[in-house]
Amino acid sequence: MAHMRTSIPLLLGGVAVLVALPLLLSAGLLNASVQMLIAALFASAYSLLSGRAGMLSFGHAAYFGVGAFATVHAMNALNGTGLLPTPLLPLAGAGAGLAFGVVAGWFATQRTGTAFAMITLAIAELLHALAPQLRGWFGGESGISTMRMPAWGLNFGSTTQVYYLTLAWVLAALALLYFHTLTPPGRLTLALRENEHRLRFLGYDVHGLGVSAFAISGLFSGLAGALQVVSNESANYVVFDAGVSASVVLNSYIGGVTAFLGPALGAALMTFFGYAVSDATQAWLLYQGVIFVLVMMFMPDGLVGLLAVIGRLVRTLGIRAAPLMAGWLLAGLLLVAGGVFLVELVQRLCSQDYRAMARVGEAWPAVRLLGREWLPAAAGTWATVLLPLAAGGGLLAMVHGAQRRWLTEGAK
Amino acid sequence: MDALVFALLNGVIYGLLLFMVSAGLTLIFGMMGVLNFAHASFYMLGAYFAYALQGLVGFAPAVVLATVLAGAVGAGVERFFLRRVHRHGHAHELLLTFGLSFIVAETIKLLFGNQPVDYRIPPALDVAAFVVGSQQYPAYRLLMGGVALAMFAVLYLLLTRTRVGIIVRSAIYKPRMVEALGHNVQLVFMGVFAVGAALAGLAGAIAGAFYTTSPNMALEIGVMVFVVVVVGGLGSLGGAMLASLLIGVMTSFAVGVDRSLADLFAVVGARDWAEGVGGLLTLKLSSLAATLPFALMLLVLLVRPSGLMGSKN
Repeated sequence: MAHMRTSIPLLLGGVAVLVALPLLLSAGLLNASVQMLIAALFASAYSLLSGRAGMLSFGHAAYFGVGAFATVHAMNALNGTGLLPTPLLPLAGAGAGLAFGVVAGWFATQRTGTAFAMITLAIAELLHALAPQLRGWFGGESGISTMRMPAWGLNFGSTTQVYYLTLAWVLAALALLYFHTLTPPGRLTLALRENEHRLRFLGYDVHGLGVSAFAISGLFSGLAGALQVVSNESANYVVFDAGVSASVVLNSYIGGVTAFLGPALGAALMTFFGYAVSDATQAWLLYQGVIFVLVMMFMPDGLVGLLAVIGRLVRTLGIRAAPLMAGWLLAGLLLVAGGVFLVELVQRLCSQDYRAMARVGEAWPAVRLLGREWLPAAAGTWATVLLPLAAGGGLLAMVHGAQRRWLTEGAK
Repeated sequence: MDALVFALLNGVIYGLLLFMVSAGLTLIFGMMGVLNFAHASFYMLGAYFAYALQGLVGFAPAVVLATVLAGAVGAGVERFFLRRVHRHGHAHELLLTFGLSFIVAETIKLLFGNQPVDYRIPPALDVAAFVVGSQQYPAYRLLMGGVALAMFAVLYLLLTRTRVGIIVRSAIYKPRMVEALGHNVQLVFMGVFAVGAALAGLAGAIAGAFYTTSPNMALEIGVMVFVVVVVGGLGSLGGAMLASLLIGVMTSFAVGVDRSLADLFAVVGARDWAEGVGGLLTLKLSSLAATLPFALMLLVLLVRPSGLMGSKN
């Protein structure tokens, strides 16, 4: 339990930082923090199903979206006064997510493995295709907008109040999700992933367990959708988009589904980067995909797993781990610099504006990047791309070789 | 009557096209047990390769080259990506291909823009095959159907009549035994993966010119193809054919039907009630055409969870 004792002060410190954030951040960053919290909750809800229960879902936007629309209708109910006081509105989304999760889960858990993944995808696409047709429920292409009503002496007009509302709900939901992992049904969810057949032979209702994991995941996804509506004061059928389902998969696995807080950290981190670089690049989604594939190939346990690897290395090699870390970091930075420069350069060369400028038979005009002009025909431009890539690759090979040598020496 | 013939023909040809993409998917699944999420990306790659090459070499060579290139990309994906993560299990492989499909779609958006590109069939092929009533039927549709049928025939003969086919089929059932007999099963896997990708690429190269070539095409056809393999039964080539045709014909007919559920209620005199309820009950079947395959899939899962021609597991 030494692990528990070190992590509890860490957790309390994290919560304290989260509570203090509105004092430290600007309104824009605070808004981004609200989105990060929502993404973290959504990823945790997703990972209950896909990480713990081992049932890969590629259509989790459906439960997020159902929660969002239930909330928007609850807010607009009774001539705009709202079905519930504003702080309790997310309950509407959670309830809708749970109800839809039970129905969809009953169908999807008829099959396991690959077929399950495809069914979840199809259910989400079904909603995405149907939603724009049903104007009364989903507001057509333009969506439905709403207003946060004052309640309990708060007017919910400032970002700070919305932030605290979101924070309270997200922390409560994460605590409940963690509590679920300690309960017998929560432990059985893990068994569902590890050995479904044995579970069935032991006399458990496997289908029922699957539906319950699905429904709980739907509940918390709906809650995340509800919080987004409370924050944005609108809902549009775009929440059913495949991109929403995709990003929760990518974020969760980048963070690492094997640890409880891994998906939440991954989602918060990726949402923050998405916010930070959205003005600077149009290729953020591509980077997100590349990070995901790299994580899947080289760090199957995600970024949280990386911490464990570093810890192991420090324990076995002691002080010699320091140059290795520095080497890995430098090689990584060189490769990232070269790769990002290449992508951005190609993106600008392929953009509509550039193609309109470049005429047949004339020399290609220069591209502006990082406050400099780069000529696509100049050798220097491509050397700037290739040098860091080559240096990074070489360094990577060296560090990898050194680490392997030292580790085998240590083993002897 | 004319409309009926046209709808039937269109549906069959769309179904054949779906089959071209789902054949590779279901073969790969049957063999390696991995659902290749990126499979529809090869369809999109085929279309974009053909579009990019069309101006350089002409339409027909561009289609051939696009097929070969898509196959080469498929072989690369198997060799350098899937094989590396094989030991982590099927879920990991599925996630990896999911990430790859994401990268392909984003790269295409980066290189060719978010909008559909101007990839059209050459004027020489843009002619009418025959005229029924007052409507002309485009010859290119028949060409697409013909290519799909020819592909099915070649694939079937290859699998059932040749030595390579025997090895491939046995590698599906008992890969370890085949390996013990001295065959390079890894190479067989890579070959099947490449052929599956090439077929999807060919389908994309010829269909992209007729329908639209846009960064969304992979997702659109991909979801439909997943429905096809679930309805047909995972790993069953015959099931994929049956389900493709069923879904193709069903959507094609639904587009032409201007009725809603309220009309059905009118038979028992409940039209006013149904129209009062609104929502799903008053939606025209034509606007629901895109959702029908999903409904069919849910129905099949209820009645026959292993798919129309899938084996019980």
